Amino acid sequence: MATQHARAAARLMISPSVILLLAWMIIPLGMTLYFSTLRYNLLMPGSNPFVGWENYQYFLTDPAFMTALVNTLLLVGGVLIITVIGGILLGMLLDQPMWGQGIVRILVIAPFFVMPTVSALVWKNMFMNPVNGLFAHLANFLGLQPFDFLAQAPLLSIIGIVSWQWLPFATLILLTAMQSLDQEQLEAAEMDGAGAFSRFIHITLPHLSRAVTVVILIQTIFLLSVFAEILVTTNGGPGNASTNLTYLVYAESLLRFDVGTGSAGGVVAIVLANIVAIFLMRMIGKNLDT
Amino acid sequence: MARAITNQRKAVNTLVAWVIGLLIFFPILWTVLTSFKTEAVAIADPPIWFNFHWTLENYFTVQERSNYFRHFWNSVVISVGSTVLGLVIAVPAAWAMAFVPGKRTKDLLMWMLSTKMLPPVGVLVPIYLLFRNMGLLDTKLGLIIVLTLINLPIIIWMLYTYFREIPGDILEAARMDGANLRNEVIYVLLPMAVPGIASTLLLNIILAWNEAFWTLNLTAAKAAPLTAFIASYSSPEGLFYAKLSAASTMAIAPILIMGWFSQKQLVRGLTFGAVK
Repeated sequence: MATQHARAAARLMISPSVILLLAWMIIPLGMTLYFSTLRYNLLMPGSNPFVGWENYQYFLTDPAFMTALVNTLLLVGGVLIITVIGGILLGMLLDQPMWGQGIVRILVIAPFFVMPTVSALVWKNMFMNPVNGLFAHLANFLGLQPFDFLAQAPLLSIIGIVSWQWLPFATLILLTAMQSLDQEQLEAAEMDGAGAFSRFIHITLPHLSRAVTVVILIQTIFLLSVFAEILVTTNGGPGNASTNLTYLVYAESLLRFDVGTGSAGGVVAIVLANIVAIFLMRMIGKNLDT
Repeated sequence: MARAITNQRKAVNTLVAWVIGLLIFFPILWTVLTSFKTEAVAIADPPIWFNFHWTLENYFTVQERSNYFRHFWNSVVISVGSTVLGLVIAVPAAWAMAFVPGKRTKDLLMWMLSTKMLPPVGVLVPIYLLFRNMGLLDTKLGLIIVLTLINLPIIIWMLYTYFREIPGDILEAARMDGANLRNEVIYVLLPMAVPGIASTLLLNIILAWNEAFWTLNLTAAKAAPLTAFIASYSSPEGLFYAKLSAASTMAIAPILIMGWFSQKQLVRGLTFGAVK
């Protein structure tokens, strides 16, 4: 039925989406590229002379950039490791027969629906606060010195908060994948004398590979641009200890009003995200075909 | 004997799973409990769990002090608005790609997904300046536009995976039976498409409700939805645990409930049907 007529109609139906997404990519991206070559500060209105690579040079040689880059990688990597491993373990646990499975599942996935600013504030004040937080109470109770999480280990604390939000997502996806695993295959392997560990390595894990890929892809997209959690808990500090690339560009452009440097940073963030994206899209493209 | 062992194992599983489940849920539970305490009880050391005088005072104070309901309403308008607008644009596109697939459909879908890879911070400056010049800063319309655009690829993908599962044979059968196009759409296509559209709607409201990067950067006082309003509690003078908890509880409750109802679709939707 795919006649000439149907094809024309289809093109017409698709075009608004394509035009909008194309505009969304090209217009702001073009402007970012353009601004990144200008000396452009909102606090100093007037002419914005062309300066070529100067902003890039400034941004890339700023020690804050290296810190932010490393922090970004640690944040994404740390959360991925925690949520993927935690998700597999939790998924396996929830896949077992038990009483009240539905309720436990509801408890476990709940953090995913908590908005980032709420999650950040609750953890910062009610748990990690060194005076009134619940962790401080716990430390007092055990006779220990309360630990000032966000001042002493800011990045690690943020990794913890973000992991709490994303663990439910990984668990839910991996549990769903586990439930489609052929039980007979596992039983047959058990009959053949395969231990629990080798059954996991040779049957469960390969079965989960596609789900793990999807979890990594989707989480990476969101984790590269973690922002609210940092803004609310530490403002990127102390110093630059918890500044990631997203936060650094925000600080450059909207706190220091340096549009030129901020834009250069934005372009750098885009290039880095695309390096990751190309790699990930290949992975998911391969996985979706089969 | 075998039955006894399984029951024992089941009991152990149950115990371990409940302990872990409650630990993960605990921050939410604690927030809800704290929202019913007075400020003094909220910071008591050792913590007071259940035996306190329950009060709704915090909820009223939060509303009185800052017109909480206005921010709540902003969240509703922005998340529902951007989702509906997104669906209006995406339904025809997903429909066409699912039913009249061409050689390029797959590339097109991948390209659309790739726009999602664009880090928001890379385009923050131009959007901020464009909005400032067009008077869209701190407006609900401005946020609706941005959120529609950033969620559009996901909406299209989700709809596409749902639509693709509608068998073309049924449509052909209806046509053979003499259904005209109007009847075919109303009686055959729509009933099969509605569940997919509804799930997409639900999931995108959740995503838009919790979106924080753009709301924090493009709104100030007037159009600030709950994500941005709650963040204002991070300033020292806003540091009141019970009130913070009341505001937080109201902000997350609707989405938490919606999320629990749509957890099955969540897996399909967010993985584009790649995990079943």
